[in-house]
Amino acid sequence: MKTQAKPRVAFFDFACCEGCQLEVLSLEEQLLEMIELVDIVTWREAMSEKSDEYDIAFCEGSITREADIERIKHIRETADILVSLGACATIGCHNALKNQFSMDEVLHIVYGDRAEWFDTISARPITAVVPVDYQVNGCPASLPEFVTVFKHILMGKEYKPPNQPVCVECKLKDNLCVYEKGMLCLGPVTRCGCDAICTSYGHACFGCRGLVDDPNLNAAQDVLAKYGLSVEEIVGKFRVYNNWPELSLEESHSDG
Amino acid sequence: MSICVVEHDELHALVQRLIQQGPAMGPRERQQQPGFYYFDWLNSADELVLDYVTTTLPPKKAFFPPREPFLEFSRTDPAKVRSMTDEGPFVLLGVHPCDLAAIEQLDIAYSDNIADGRYLANRARTTAIIGVDCWPDEYCLCTSVGTEQARGSADLFLTPIQRGYLVEVRTPRGQELLGDSAQLPATDQDEADTAQFRREKQRRVTAKFATGVEQFADILAAGGLTEVWQEVADRCYSCGSCSLVCPTCFCFDINDDINLDLTTGARIRTWDSCQLPDFALVAGGHNFRGERWERVRHRWHRKFLYLYTQYGRPFCTGCGRCSRACTADINLVEVSNDLIAYAQRETQNV
Ligand code: SF4
Ligand code: SF4
Ligand code: SF4
Ligand code: SF4
Ligand code: SF4
Repeated sequence: MKTQAKPRVAFFDFACCEGCQLEVLSLEEQLLEMIELVDIVTWREAMSEKSDEYDIAFCEGSITREADIERIKHIRETADILVSLGACATIGCHNALKNQFSMDEVLHIVYGDRAEWFDTISARPITAVVPVDYQVNGCPASLPEFVTVFKHILMGKEYKPPNQPVCVECKLKDNLCVYEKGMLCLGPVTRCGCDAICTSYGHACFGCRGLVDDPNLNAAQDVLAKYGLSVEEIVGKFRVYNNWPELSLEESHSDG
Repeated sequence: MSICVVEHDELHALVQRLIQQGPAMGPRERQQQPGFYYFDWLNSADELVLDYVTTTLPPKKAFFPPREPFLEFSRTDPAKVRSMTDEGPFVLLGVHPCDLAAIEQLDIAYSDNIADGRYLANRARTTAIIGVDCWPDEYCLCTSVGTEQARGSADLFLTPIQRGYLVEVRTPRGQELLGDSAQLPATDQDEADTAQFRREKQRRVTAKFATGVEQFADILAAGGLTEVWQEVADRCYSCGSCSLVCPTCFCFDINDDINLDLTTGARIRTWDSCQLPDFALVAGGHNFRGERWERVRHRWHRKFLYLYTQYGRPFCTGCGRCSRACTADINLVEVSNDLIAYAQRETQNV
């Protein structure tokens, strides 16, 4: 970190809904404790001041245009520490859904006869374009992980995202498994770190934090097929968040 | 040990008294999902359900919490390192025989070798345990592991009968708990009711091992079962649910959680599971059980071979929670019987 009383923090956004930044703002009192430790110099969603000098950059959103590549590279060069904030920035999230189509097709679907005014490239997470030092997963970004990553950065420690499925946090909280209610849950293959927030409120996990390192997708396919889902529906379930890299589910494993 | 009969109203009053005297944990029905039960602190005797189907997590959570901060520290001031204060004594109500057996097994394991002071201190706060007999569901396998009549460290044990409960007073503490509750002498009819309950319970257990636990341990020790393990591993998520819900699993991890002042923090112990891929990962990147099938095998070996050899009883109390919890429908009894059948086929073929 550069010699500076407090490290300077900037927030940037690429293609996304900016929900992750909003989520960070909702930290409220904890945020006040955090700004004791850092100076926030750029944060379009939260303040009007901005600066081109910063040490730590939290970057939200996916890369979807050539110009984005230049911009993220510039941020990478400027910042000592680059953090991908949230699912769009870390695993591509919904943005990467468009990669199933040709770019020409999506331009015309969205912009009709003005399509040639715009340029687009297949959507990819920031992590696929420049090296990142830390990742925060989740859509929106999981706050417990954001705070943990923040502390790790300031202490100069490496952070490894947990390689355990959501089921672990879900079980530690003594939740009733939503399968007992006939709901289908991607918790067994999804990386935890959100404190199983969805299943704790009785919803299924949709996999917004991405897959664990070695997910047993065959098992997932068998289980979902047993509940009557076709291969297409199973792929669709995974694709809500997990499109990067392209998932390959083996058709042979399903009879649905 | 003595026996007596306590009527329903009288037991209700006794439970209410215990709750008023101090914290009491017992099985409650989930408000959002009737028909499902969990152990929790009770506010009133009305919340306690004694004829419940097995809970999601076992009662060990009362004295071995899933996530337990146990030490506060300061990175800059060693004088500020201190053990986090224990809360006071509590009682545990409505514990099934399998879970009573499991508490006994945890006590054995945590006292053996290097005793776990934290665990034992929390157990010492568990000042009374009241057990209750139960009806099995299709996952319960207590008769295969010999726990259907286990009493473990129960001070009182209740069997539902016509007149209320037949109460086994197993310890002086149990007698003390009863206090001045009306204790009726058990009649021949009460004892016949009790015997009938036990016979019927035995009859209703449908999930059964095809061999005794001793032969099963021999089969596991002989090995050569990789094909079966791999078949199970194909279906297994390595999600850890089966061991996280197991009343006899005792593995944990320890992590430090630093506060936002970046100076003070807490050391936390959290339940861990041998089914998770990083469980046996050590410095240098070597993983002793990197393959899924090795982790599946470890779960069976741990329960039915290693600890069986060490303590002379399987470290499975037949509660069936692992099978209930598995979203991939990997069933303890079915897999065990597949292993047994496979081993028997192999021996015949030799
Ligand atoms: S990860 Fe989700 S909340 Fe965050 S920007 Fe993307 S879509 Fe919005
Ligand atoms: S609700 Fe989902 S995350 Fe929780 S245990 Fe069940 S499958 Fe796992
Ligand atoms: S439970 Fe699943 S969908 Fe919900 S926040 Fe966690 S990872 Fe995302
Ligand atoms: S609960 Fe089932 S899927 Fe999960 S680790 Fe255990 S056996 Fe495998
Ligand atoms: S192995 Fe399964 S049946 Fe046996 S004690 Fe553990 S959870 Fe219960």
